[in-house]
Parts: sequence; structure tokens; C-alpha cells
Amino acid sequence: MFKRRAILLIAALFLLLSGCAGFKTGAVNQKASDGDEKVKVDFWTFWGSEIRRPVVEKIVEDFNKSQDKIEVTHTFVPWGDIWTKELAAIAANSPPDVVINDINATALRGKKNQAMNLSQFLEKDDISGDFYPELWEATLYEGDSYGIPFNTDTRILYYNKDAFEEVGLDPEKPPTTWEELEEYAAKLDKKDGNTYDRIGFYPLWGIQSDVWMLNADGVNYFDSEGEVSIDTDANRDTLDWLVKWREIYGENTINAYQAQIDSQQGNPFFNGKLGMFINTPTFYTQIRDYAPDLNFGVAKLPERTEGSGHTSWGGGFVAEIPEGSKNAEEAWEFIKYLTGAEAQEYWAVKNFDNVANIEAAENAAKSDEMSETDRMVYQMAVDNMDETLLTPVPVNAPDFTNLINPEIDAVLLGKKSSEEGLKAAQAAVEKLIEKNK
Amino acid sequence: MAKKKPLHIRREGRQGYIFILPWIIGFVVFTAGPLLFSFFASFTNYDITSQMDFIGFANYEQLFTGDQLFWTSLYNTFYYVLFSVPLTTLGAIFLSALLNQDVPGLRFFRTVYYLPAILSGVGVYLLWMQLLEPGSGMVNTVLAWFGIAGPNWLFDPAWTKPALIFMKLWGVGGGMLLYLASMQGVSQSLYDAAGIDGAGRWQQFRYITIPMITPVIFFDIITSLIGGFQIFQEAYVMSNGEGGPVNSMLFYNLYMWKKAFEAFDMGYAMAMSWILFVIVFIITIINLKLAPRWVHYEGEDN
Repeated sequence: MFKRRAILLIAALFLLLSGCAGFKTGAVNQKASDGDEKVKVDFWTFWGSEIRRPVVEKIVEDFNKSQDKIEVTHTFVPWGDIWTKELAAIAANSPPDVVINDINATALRGKKNQAMNLSQFLEKDDISGDFYPELWEATLYEGDSYGIPFNTDTRILYYNKDAFEEVGLDPEKPPTTWEELEEYAAKLDKKDGNTYDRIGFYPLWGIQSDVWMLNADGVNYFDSEGEVSIDTDANRDTLDWLVKWREIYGENTINAYQAQIDSQQGNPFFNGKLGMFINTPTFYTQIRDYAPDLNFGVAKLPERTEGSGHTSWGGGFVAEIPEGSKNAEEAWEFIKYLTGAEAQEYWAVKNFDNVANIEAAENAAKSDEMSETDRMVYQMAVDNMDETLLTPVPVNAPDFTNLINPEIDAVLLGKKSSEEGLKAAQAAVEKLIEKNK
Repeated sequence: MAKKKPLHIRREGRQGYIFILPWIIGFVVFTAGPLLFSFFASFTNYDITSQMDFIGFANYEQLFTGDQLFWTSLYNTFYYVLFSVPLTTLGAIFLSALLNQDVPGLRFFRTVYYLPAILSGVGVYLLWMQLLEPGSGMVNTVLAWFGIAGPNWLFDPAWTKPALIFMKLWGVGGGMLLYLASMQGVSQSLYDAAGIDGAGRWQQFRYITIPMITPVIFFDIITSLIGGFQIFQEAYVMSNGEGGPVNSMLFYNLYMWKKAFEAFDMGYAMAMSWILFVIVFIITIINLKLAPRWVHYEGEDN
């Protein structure tokens, strides 16, 4: 009897030990240090692709070589996990030191004490002027910054010059208004019986209705005062306009094309079956890979009416220090390097990605490492930053899109009128904000 | 009053506990704490990092009276469970009945049908998204051979949930394995006796096979009910975390996840999780109460 109990006890102990093993290794790792007593900075990104990973690791390596006090380690955490893991690590009080996170929710993370208030560092080195103001604004909560902008994006119009020429349009004059967009699209359409050989343009491939509502008058869901302004004339007109396009081409054609666009290399813009397409400047790398001979041009988004503005939409990522980081000073040093002109230009050129640092972006557009077409697109990306607005989530209603999207879906699917849908969305979001106040 | 149970029964009971000891230890050490914490925190505005104030029943009140999406997500989840559980159970029984026959190539077929059960995760969902593409996807292409114009599966709010259920049916191999094992445990003598009495194939299946495998059916229904209520991944991946057109794929757990990790309204999400727990608990109790009426355990005394 006694013997059996002993065996049980041992078995139980083993179980407990195996349960604890996970914690142990973590602790050992953190303490490990190589004789130099360098401060270790753990840097989390979701850049694990074969293109991005070497670039970010080169930047880390350059930083490590540039000084002898700080040793940054790059940890790749997959896109689906990184921020929930970060949150868990903050809650467990052992967060990484620098994390790349979504720029649009930076203020929210500041409010929630997830990201560290960076004003203590900015008082000493004020780098706020190095970045596009729109991006910098998005990092502020009650006037303090909680993340330094790293990269960004915008939306531009790509158009097929050969197709323009073929139908008698000037290939150097892309459409500048919604009206011209419709007119050019109709000219570019090529129909064979019931199917299209070429479609001129369809506004909801590549971007979504919220970008068009933003483009229409510079406001999509919240005005500059932060008031809910969903049910507006401009938004109603925009949705009606989008529904009109849907009726022109019809559900089946739209879905078939959408599937090809989703498949990437089969994108109809590459083989001339789509005349105009809106996407990010980075989309150009796909053209470079899959359709190197395509004769195309880039332009700003058309405006709703003359003078309403070529407003485009962007997002991006910031480098932030999670609350509770043990090495915030060193983390800040690394962030300065990461968002400095040198590292940013390297990132911009190697990844063909919009960067937040103005000097770096402008230098990249002139970089002789890029081909002439590369530079043309990149220059447009840089110029377009003047038109680009971000839509940071309101801290009182961070999940408001759940309420808006179904209404807009219903309008676009023809199940509701734009008036009904927007009215319902406006009321629902107002209610959410009221509840969270 | 209660008689002391005989020694061998008590010993058996003790051995039972020893066998589930790993689970008990794991539960007490790792799960029980968070469980109690989440119950407590569901009465607060907990957001992990900045606040945890007691707010009474405000979260529950808001859920039941002020949150349209809560009802949407509950409806979506019930819809999914209501169709997917019976269909997958019937599908699995049907399939295992077929694969319990003595036909050539049996091993091959069993492997083929079991294969989807071990393929899982994001890769499979991405594959299905391609198969379900309305224009060029395999499913609609095959339907078109028979002159059927396939629906816009994942783009049409009326078809998103049927699409997921359809996809679920493809993975019935896991349940099939259980049924197959229990069917093979049915004594041949029962069939022989029934055969002598003149029972046909269908009658044998209906009156021998089915009753003999009811314990497994019961187990399968309980676990797939619980699993069905927890549907998350499929919707998260196939709608890009958005909940699909017109929120038609906003399932309960997806909404809960969004509240917890997008809005950081953890207390609210915890309240949601307790509501789900109560729902599943009640359904399981009902199931357990109904079980004696139709589940047949061999070797039972009464």
C-alpha cells in the first residue's frame, strides 16, 4: 500500500514539474548575458516573410554594430498572434521592449496603459517633426505620443496606358473626377456578348466603400471634432454611386473578377483585362513580378467634384514600448534608429514600402537603387501623402466598424437604401459611444 | 440509509480518480483560477491593463438589453449548431455504415474519408475559400456541370453559414472513426440470430446496429454540440476577422474575441463567456436527462 502511494506521489510530482518546465526556460533566457553586460532589447515584429525578414534583421544588425551598449534581438511573431501575445506579456509584467503595432489603435493602447507614454523621451529628443503630421497625430492620446510611426501606406490609381491609347484617351491624362472616372471606364469597357473582355473600372476592387466615403468629402465616419458623422449627404451619395457601379457590371462579373484579383498573379489588371485599379503603392511590386512589360501610369484618386479633394486613405504601423518594459531607455534608443532616416530609407528601398520618415521617403524616391518605373510609382506614393488621411479608431468606440459594416453591406447588396442603412449605423454608433462614455 | 459500498466498488472508484488525476491536477493548477477570476471579472470593467472597477450587473444588462450584435451572434451560433450537429452526426453514421461493409479497397476508402479529419487549421480554410469562390471555384464549377448556378457562398449573407456547414460535413471522418470502431464491436451473433429470424439488412441496421452504437452517438452529439457553440476559427479566417457580409458569420466566440482583443473590453467578454457557459451547460443537462430514454448500454443491470 505504502509503495503504491509513493509511486503515485512521484507521478504527481513529475506532472507538476513538466507543467513548470515552460516557465523555467523563459526565465533562463532572460538572464542570459554575454560577458559584455550589454542590455538586451527584445524586438517583436510580424515580418517573417522572405522579403521583409532579412531587411528588418539587417537594420537590427546595423544598430547592434553601431554602438556597444545595447543588443537588440528580433523575434518574429506571426501576424495572428503578435498583439494578443503582447497583451498577455504586458499583463504578466514581462513584455518585450519594442513591438510593431497598428498605428490606428495607438491612442487606445495609450489610454489603456498598454503602450508607454513616450513624452519623457521626446522632451529630450524631439523627433516628432521627422514624420508626416497625419501619422504623428494618430499616435497621440491627450497630446502625448504612445508610438513612433514606422511605415504607412496610401491608395493610388493605376491605369493601363496602352488601353487608354487604344480607345482614344490621352495616356498622360488619367481621370481626375468621379465623372471622368465613369466616362473613361465606359470607354474602356469591351463587351463580347454577355461577357466582358475588358472592364474599365470597378470602385470596390482593391479598396472598400469607407475609402470612397472618405474621398468624397474628407470625412468618413467621424468629423474633425470626433463627432459621429456617418449619416451625411456625402456618404449617401457615395453609397448610391457605388450601387450604380454594381448594377452596371452585375454580380456575376464582379465576383468572377474579384476571385481573379484575390488570386494575385491572375489579377486582370496585369493582362489588360482591367483598365484602372486602385491599390497601395506596394501593389506595384506585383506588377513588377507578374507583368513587367505592362505600360501603366499612376495617379491620385479622382475627386468627387472639382475641388472636393483627392483624399486618399492610409494606415501603417508604429514602434512602441509596451508598458512594463525593463529597458525602456535602450528601447527608445533603438526606436530612434529604427525610425531614423537611414534605416527608414533602407526599408523603403528594399521593400518598396511607404515609410513614415519624410526625409527617408523623399530620398527613397530618388534612390539610384530603384529603376525609373520604381521611382515614378514611389514618387507618386510620396506626393500622395499630402492627400492621405488616417482613420484612427475612436477611443470611446474602438469596435465601431462591427456596427457600420453590416449596414453598408446591406446597402451595397441592395437590401437597404443608403438612407436607411446610414441612419441605422449612425444611431448604433452613437449608442455605443454613449454607453462607453 | 446509504449502505457502505462493497470494497471492490470503492477500489474501482479510487482507481478511476487515479486515472483522471492528470486532468484534475491540470484543472486545479491551471484552469480553476482563471475560471473563477473570469467569473469575478465579468462584474467589472476589467481591460487587463488599466482598470478593474466593480460595476455590478452592468455588463450583463448591456448584453441583454442594449447590444444588438450579441443577439446577432447568438442567432448565428444557434443556426450553425442546429444544422451542423444533426447533419454531421447523420453523415458520420451513414459513412461508417458504408465503410463497415466488406468491399474491396476498404482500407483505401477509410483512409481517404478519414484524411480531412486530420487536416485542419488555417490552411484548410484557405483551401475552402478557393473551392467556394463563386466564379472560378471548384464547387460551383462542379455544380455548373449539372446545370446548377451555384450561389455566392461566402459573399452572400444567406449562404455563408450553409457554406461553413457544408465545409464541416467534409470533415466527418473524425466522427466516422468512432462509429466504425463501435460498429465493429457489435457481436456478429446478434446479426446471425436476427438473420435466422428473417430480419433484412435495413432492419438489422435499425434494430441492432443503431441501438448498439447509441453510447457513441450520445458522446458524439454532446461533444459536437459543445464544439459547435465554440465555432470561431472558421469564421475568423474566412471573413478576415470581420464577421462576413452583413455580420452573417459573426459567431458568438468571434464577437467575444473582438470585444476582448479589439475593444479590450475584457469584463464584457468574460460576461459573454459565462452566458455561453450557462447555455451549453443547460443543453448538456437536458441531454443527460434525455439520454436514458434512448441510449443503450450493454451490460447494464436494469
